[in-house]
Amino acid sequence: MSRHDELTQDLEARRARVKEMGGKEKIAARKAAGHMDARERIDHLFDPESFAETGMFATSHRPEMREKSPADGKVCGYGRIDGRPAAIVSCDITTLGASSSLTNVRKMGHLRRTAIRNGMPMIFLNETSGARIPDTMGAQGTGALGQDPEQFIRGREIPYVSACLGPSYGTGTWFTMLSDFVVMRKGACLAVSSPRVTSLAIGEEVQLEELGGWKLHTERTGLVDYAVDSDEEALDLIKRFLSYLPSHAEQLPPAAEPPDETEIDGASITDIVPAERQKVYDVRKLIAAIADPESVFELKPRFGRVATTSLARMGGQVVGFVATNPMFKGGALDPDGCDKITSFLVLCDSFHIPVIMLTDTPGFLIGVEGERRKAPGKIMNFMSALQMCSVPKFSIVTRKSYGQAYLNMGGSRNSDEMAAWTTADVGFMDPNIGVNVVYGVTAESDPQKFEELKAEISRETSAYDLAAIYSAQSVLDPRKTRQWLMSMLSVHSRDREGGFSRRALASWPTTF
Amino acid sequence: MAEEQICSEITGTVWKIEMGIGDKVEEDDVIMILESMKMEIPVLAPCAGTLQKLLVEEGSAIAEGQMIAIVDT
Repeated sequence: MSRHDELTQDLEARRARVKEMGGKEKIAARKAAGHMDARERIDHLFDPESFAETGMFATSHRPEMREKSPADGKVCGYGRIDGRPAAIVSCDITTLGASSSLTNVRKMGHLRRTAIRNGMPMIFLNETSGARIPDTMGAQGTGALGQDPEQFIRGREIPYVSACLGPSYGTGTWFTMLSDFVVMRKGACLAVSSPRVTSLAIGEEVQLEELGGWKLHTERTGLVDYAVDSDEEALDLIKRFLSYLPSHAEQLPPAAEPPDETEIDGASITDIVPAERQKVYDVRKLIAAIADPESVFELKPRFGRVATTSLARMGGQVVGFVATNPMFKGGALDPDGCDKITSFLVLCDSFHIPVIMLTDTPGFLIGVEGERRKAPGKIMNFMSALQMCSVPKFSIVTRKSYGQAYLNMGGSRNSDEMAAWTTADVGFMDPNIGVNVVYGVTAESDPQKFEELKAEISRETSAYDLAAIYSAQSVLDPRKTRQWLMSMLSVHSRDREGGFSRRALASWPTTF
Repeated sequence: MAEEQICSEITGTVWKIEMGIGDKVEEDDVIMILESMKMEIPVLAPCAGTLQKLLVEEGSAIAEGQMIAIVDT
């Protein structure tokens, strides 16, 4: 055997050892519990044979830990998803809990800089115990951290996506918070510190689900978009999300084959949306009836449900739908709904995705609880984001739209083109409330007078009244909504800028 | 078996109760309909299970956050 062959044989043996990760027993136990290992996850996500690893032979900087830290617990590299490039950090929890160390933070930094410089999404598959102990203990351990002053800057030059597939603390949590899309496996925990550390710190027992479980994050904090039952589902959702986004901000979102328009019938729209204002409906059915068939991908479906935010396609082109949903709280916009829409506008503006707003709302949900939760600030964050968002914006009033909420949902000049359905009802406030506020009469105190005053106050609130002053540019038969939108997407092409937005929102934080 | 408490998302009155105690529910089934802001707003089951308790009746005035039903999952 030549010296070259000997060295190659040694290289292969070392590679095989690294691929064993934390050892066959640990890997087998996890497999039996239904978890993929860090490398299987990469194989599931990336196109076959496309993965190129970086830092395979990186280890802990502590000499006594070198043999126990293959790839230093974080498998990093580049690959392709449906032919498009991506960079990945896949935590190997069987190796020192995939804890963050001097070496693997260096790996992640290199990967992130490479992804940004060359234009490919960053994917974080998190399952990590947090900072490595005892490496980070003491002044020297802590002082050695923070060597990258740009580590947590988010300019959205590229998409970031995260999956929480087990415990996620410390660095894993920080990058999740910076991500444009987050999916979580049920049973995982996303928090600043583990339940054990937290319990010790505050002196009371804290349960995993309470501290950072999927229900907390999909329903109350909105920090997670989806909760799933398996690793495979999480990875498939990441693929789905990325299929709507460009690889980087100097690209437009990937177009798909347009559907056959003759097979799309808008007739169902009038069955979905009742003409009577007191009847509610699920706006997600309306979006599905307007968009290309099977193209709708809702984000944060369990959070801030008064609003729906969905990626979708129109004629193959990626668009973003923002809609109030009368099914929840009558579609009255609350602080969570505002946050959800604002973060979606940041995504759309950063990656050149035109926004379509569908409005059927009695206004902002007012009350003491809303004020305590900073409702005025949330409303203005949303409004500022809308006005700074420079992608084409289209607004359609489907039924009611009152007051400031009318403006937040793209009313008047806050969208590039506005239309009102024939059922539209627009004014400063709901006429039922207005009669009481203006005249002090309620339906209970004087029913006849109430109806007379309501008829008076309801005058000039129609789609045609809005169109007469050219605040709405069109009045639509609801069944022709798709045709109007397709036509307007073509008109407002931003052709002079190549279809690119100015990305003024690209560096906004979205967890507020 | 776990209990899932259902609280009203909004202030209003109970207009119509659509299900009875002991009924099987699927996630997003309509348990009752509230009237608020002159709209009929459904209360949906947050998960599949059995309706264990109804804590309000038709015509009840309810506040935001008030517990109105319990589902056994």
